[in-house]
Amino acid sequence: MTIAPLWARIGLHTTANAALAFLLLPILSIVPASFNAASFIELPPRVYSLRWYELFLQDPQWVSSLATSLQVATACMLLSLALGIPLAIAMDKLTGPGRIAVNMLILAPLVVPVIVIACAMYYAGLHTGLVGTFWGMVLGHTVLSLPFVVINVGISLRAIDPSWSRAAEGLGAGPFYSFRRVILPNIAPGVLGGAVFAFIYSFDEVVVALFLAGIGLKTLPVRMWEVIRLEFTPVVAVAATFMIVLAALLFVLARLVEMRRNPGS
Amino acid sequence: MLFTGLLMLPGMGFLLLVFVLPLLWFFGQLFAAEEGAAEVLRRFLASSAYRQILFNTFIVAINVTVACAVIAYPLAALLARVRGTAFLLLLYCVLFPLWISVLVRTFSWMMLLERNGPVNRFLLDLRLIESPVQLLFSNLGVHIGMIHVLIPYAVLPIFAALRQIDPKLLQASDGLGASPLQTFRRIYLPLSMPGVFGGAALVFLLALGFYITPALLGGVRAVTISMLIASLVSERLDWPTAAAASLVLATAVAVFLAAASRFLSFGQEVAAK
Repeated sequence: MTIAPLWARIGLHTTANAALAFLLLPILSIVPASFNAASFIELPPRVYSLRWYELFLQDPQWVSSLATSLQVATACMLLSLALGIPLAIAMDKLTGPGRIAVNMLILAPLVVPVIVIACAMYYAGLHTGLVGTFWGMVLGHTVLSLPFVVINVGISLRAIDPSWSRAAEGLGAGPFYSFRRVILPNIAPGVLGGAVFAFIYSFDEVVVALFLAGIGLKTLPVRMWEVIRLEFTPVVAVAATFMIVLAALLFVLARLVEMRRNPGS
Repeated sequence: MLFTGLLMLPGMGFLLLVFVLPLLWFFGQLFAAEEGAAEVLRRFLASSAYRQILFNTFIVAINVTVACAVIAYPLAALLARVRGTAFLLLLYCVLFPLWISVLVRTFSWMMLLERNGPVNRFLLDLRLIESPVQLLFSNLGVHIGMIHVLIPYAVLPIFAALRQIDPKLLQASDGLGASPLQTFRRIYLPLSMPGVFGGAALVFLLALGFYITPALLGGVRAVTISMLIASLVSERLDWPTAAAASLVLATAVAVFLAAASRFLSFGQEVAAK
């Protein structure tokens, strides 16, 4: 709207920036709350300290839940890649109703309400002994993060000129050699993007984790959920700050990958 | 073809075993009930308490959807206007919250809406209220939290529609003597409507099944169907009724998805993260 008059531009900038503030400020307000010296949550804090960071790092339950989350997210990311990359390559070759059906099954976990998926997995987990186990949690999270790997790798695959593979074939390369030297380098950014998102999805996820945690496997969000429901303590703000910092680092990483994928844009 | 099939085998097998099978097993509990599936469903839908929860879920989802569309529109419009670094910065500000756990985003509102929290203090300072009001554990709190979490999902489809509007159309409207307001109402707004519907559909779909935010911000009075399902499973261990409630929710989502499918390009929306 290059023709917009001044009052319209001012109005647009004001409302858009107000919306942006509403979107970002609450999230950012957690960080100062975590450096609070008082024994209750105070925003903004009157006195700053590292008191709650010390408490977090000295509490074996908090530290082990952070470690559990990192392990589950790593395993979930690797499993999502192992299943998702071949799926994306196969999807690229499929056409017609077969493609639509496979696509629907892959995207279904994003559409079915998470609470329904969580209850179903909990039910199945109770009967297979997977509730409260590391692999139960990893399997559950992988269902939800797999679509992101398939979508991201799929976008990279569509950008590959099919004649490159044919050229490799014509020059005598076998299917595996041509995959390794032609396809893989070109989908690497998509793979990395999908991997990063699969990791953060698992690390952030609460609903499925709540049901699959049982008594033995508490991820960081599960532990936060339990503490929040009991008391309102600044140590939760510390845990939340850790989650924000990790998400920010991975977000920057994903954007750097994206810039390499389409330089100049 | 055989090679393609082999490539898909692990992934498809995984989804059937870990996603489809548990769902069927869980929904099967409805049919395993002694009085029969139809009776469990009938009892669920006939209960006035459950009907109230269903009604509440829909009302919250509709309110949140409308609010998200209204708040997201100017954000999307600005995103479609700016170029270069400003564009990237703004886009990242919209995308970044999607990387933050819903639990963390909800927790931030628990701090803000608390009795002695910043929002109450701000309202007191402005003398809009005389004593702190109950914002946390209220229906209003649920709305604020859900709107906050779901706005980015509305921004992206609206932005996609706005970006495709040919600026020549706006110039032509201007050249033909239309006022800026007329150009907005007759050209810009109608052309952006597919995006608004797409964003609204996505937000409504997600809002229907929301659990974490209403469970933490809403107290006992603002129960949604997801909270009901969770309590049926983990507190009352009533699997048949939980399966019935889940079936009702999943059916509502499926019906809505079929109706709104022309506005939704699900793969693209979620990949934007």
